[in-house]
Amino acid sequence: MAAEDARYRQSTQYKLWSFSPAQLSATREKTNALAKATISERLLSRPPPAASAPTSGSNTPNPSSQMQGAGDLPEFLTPAEELRLLNHYTAELLRASDFLQYSVAIRATSAIFFRRFYVANSIMTYPPTEMLKTCLFFGNKVNGVYLHAEQFAANFPKTTAEGILAGEFLLCQGLRFAFDVKHPYRALEAAMFELERYGDVDLTRLGTASKTARDILKFSPLMTDAYFHYTPSQIMLAALSLADEELYDRVVRETFHLAHTPAFPNAPPQSRKAAAAAEEKSRLLGPEMRDKVRAAIASCRSMLAQEPPARMTGYWGTPAQTDAVKPSLRKLRKCRDPDRFDLVALHKARREQALRNGDADDEDGRVPAGSSLDGDDDAAVFGNVEERDAKRRKVKKGLEDPFGGPL
Amino acid sequence: MANSPLVAYPTSALHPNLPTTRPTSTAPSPLKPIPSGIASPSPAIVVQADPSGAVTLANDPFIPAEQLNDWEKHKYVKGKKLGEGTYANVYLGHLRSDPSQLVAIKKIKVQKEFRDGIAPDAIRELKHLQELNHPNIIKLLSVFTSKDQNLNIVLEYLPLGDLEGLIRDTSGIPYGPADVKAWMGMIARGVWFYGTVKLADFGLARAFGDPFTTNRPMTANVITIWYRPPELLFGAPFYSAAVDIWSVGVMFAELINRAALLPGQTEMEEISLICKVIGTPTEDNWPGVTSLPHYAVPDDKTPVTPREVYMQRFGSVGAEGVDLLMRMLALDPRKRVTAREMLEHKWWRAEPRPTRLEDLPRNRKEGNAEKYGQDQGRKPGVLDDKNGNRGDKVARRLDFGAAKK
Repeated sequence: MAAEDARYRQSTQYKLWSFSPAQLSATREKTNALAKATISERLLSRPPPAASAPTSGSNTPNPSSQMQGAGDLPEFLTPAEELRLLNHYTAELLRASDFLQYSVAIRATSAIFFRRFYVANSIMTYPPTEMLKTCLFFGNKVNGVYLHAEQFAANFPKTTAEGILAGEFLLCQGLRFAFDVKHPYRALEAAMFELERYGDVDLTRLGTASKTARDILKFSPLMTDAYFHYTPSQIMLAALSLADEELYDRVVRETFHLAHTPAFPNAPPQSRKAAAAAEEKSRLLGPEMRDKVRAAIASCRSMLAQEPPARMTGYWGTPAQTDAVKPSLRKLRKCRDPDRFDLVALHKARREQALRNGDADDEDGRVPAGSSLDGDDDAAVFGNVEERDAKRRKVKKGLEDPFGGPL
Repeated sequence: MANSPLVAYPTSALHPNLPTTRPTSTAPSPLKPIPSGIASPSPAIVVQADPSGAVTLANDPFIPAEQLNDWEKHKYVKGKKLGEGTYANVYLGHLRSDPSQLVAIKKIKVQKEFRDGIAPDAIRELKHLQELNHPNIIKLLSVFTSKDQNLNIVLEYLPLGDLEGLIRDTSGIPYGPADVKAWMGMIARGVWFYGTVKLADFGLARAFGDPFTTNRPMTANVITIWYRPPELLFGAPFYSAAVDIWSVGVMFAELINRAALLPGQTEMEEISLICKVIGTPTEDNWPGVTSLPHYAVPDDKTPVTPREVYMQRFGSVGAEGVDLLMRMLALDPRKRVTAREMLEHKWWRAEPRPTRLEDLPRNRKEGNAEKYGQDQGRKPGVLDDKNGNRGDKVARRLDFGAAKK
């Protein structure tokens, strides 16, 4: 088992995407603060349209820009509101996935991609309604299902292949190019085999527990931060404990069955090594470790219990849910990043800029002198504000509900 | 259980800067006790609040996607083109901060006919390389996209080419059974670790343990034809890690004799070659083979090649080596040695001992990289034509210097 731990520690899920709760919330606060600062700066640096062209602007009515003139910044989302929207859109992603009948692995991978992306990127910066579709598209790809972007886009109203693909590189960057997500489903199967192996567990009961636990795993850990804090097997055991506490208890007792056997320092050298190994084993499978594991699983369990599977349908278009997120959505419409919310335009502009800079990919081994290093040459990328606004207005209409009404 | 519940809480997700710090030095001991409960995180996880941390910590979770990408891109200097393929171009590169740290930058080509975003091959290669950290598997150092949205994969630089080049270059470098054993050791350990043989090219790799792919038929067309085992040629819909053992067995034979073992141009020809060189697969030596979808063998059946013939052809690695080779090239995948059995085979303990890594032919990488670094040290980070030319010279010098040795 220790070898599996060592292997897990090599995974990107552990190395890049595991945080303590304190670290995660600090990161989210930082992300939120950074986005606020950047967006404020961008809004303030834009030419105040109402002041400069008060009379000529009959063909450019833009209510949002009037409200966002210089010195008049919108109210930004708080980290808590961002989290609420993240959950809201994660539920939307699951709904879309179920509608399109994607596999459990694709569904879960896409949801985790979505949550990972928004750890260091704000919902105010990149449009969640677009990113969740890109996550689903990319989640399929990573799991070996290669959809045609056109066909995929046709599943959603007001969605183009271009729109899906515009966010793909961005998503990859946000994921640190780590595409492997380890899920708890397989661990659950293993636990069921283990329980069956004991020989005295009622199989009907086992089947019920397995199904309940699987339903939990298909919702609760995807709607919470469980994947960031716990290993797949911890998540699985927490779900099992919610499904059937006694069975969970049995697995833990049977696994950590050894009493602690200290090694004898005075033993002859040839047996000392074996004794040390035995001690290590008894430590790993002994009562002390058992209690540690239990504590971890108890805290994971209470996290999962906050989002029981029964809540799933509650997220989808019910009046209560709509009311809960409405104020945040209204805020979001006013405070989003003017240079990032249209991913297609962003993607296009970046490409065009690359061509202009002669960044034709270093065939001669040179780095173009003007190539930017801080990534914030948006003035160059976004020369034409008006054109962009027009595009944004067009896109905005489609942002309300990417999937149309409730299914 | 598939996953142990014993994994400790992560104490820090701040990932070391790969090119300068090797992950091996930072991997915490799996046996270390859990340092803290979830309610009382240890001081190590306090997040660095300094925004300038963005320039020092590549994987600081704060850095938004675009900034991180630009930073990763800036970290490396792309130099001379080393090679061009249909899938990617490979460039020599180095760390901007330390020109002696060479890397290979693999720029994935945009496939005109693939209109659905990033190419699946690149995704697969990245997905698997990201999770692997083993001395015998090429290291992934970084990934970034360049402005025109090309994918660049930064890999550990292996200046001395691959085994194929070594095998083919019969005029140049002599090597003996001890060297063969050392190389085979590297390959075998790599295979055991991951269970797949595409050590430096994961574009076609697929994880065997993947629960969602194991019950889906895999495509038979996954290994370069010369190294393709008979079960794939016969269209077996499900296959196991035994396919890699066959591939390694073929490489083993090639390393010994410095000649291709089964150089078929087509699948049909490959099957004929296997029948001729190894033996015709039949119900006798491989129960069930005739019911595989594409089973077809030449009419004149050849019996399985006996040990004496192997001894004549491959005797330089000794009776033990031949025994291992024969087990790796067993026609029936169920009878083939497993990766573990391969590692436990008595050949490894038989004379001669494998050549030490530093004494292997052409394995002079570090010394030359250092020299290159010294050469470059005078003008760190300066990019002009000289750089490209110099890289060119160095590459040639590596070649001949090593060949003389």
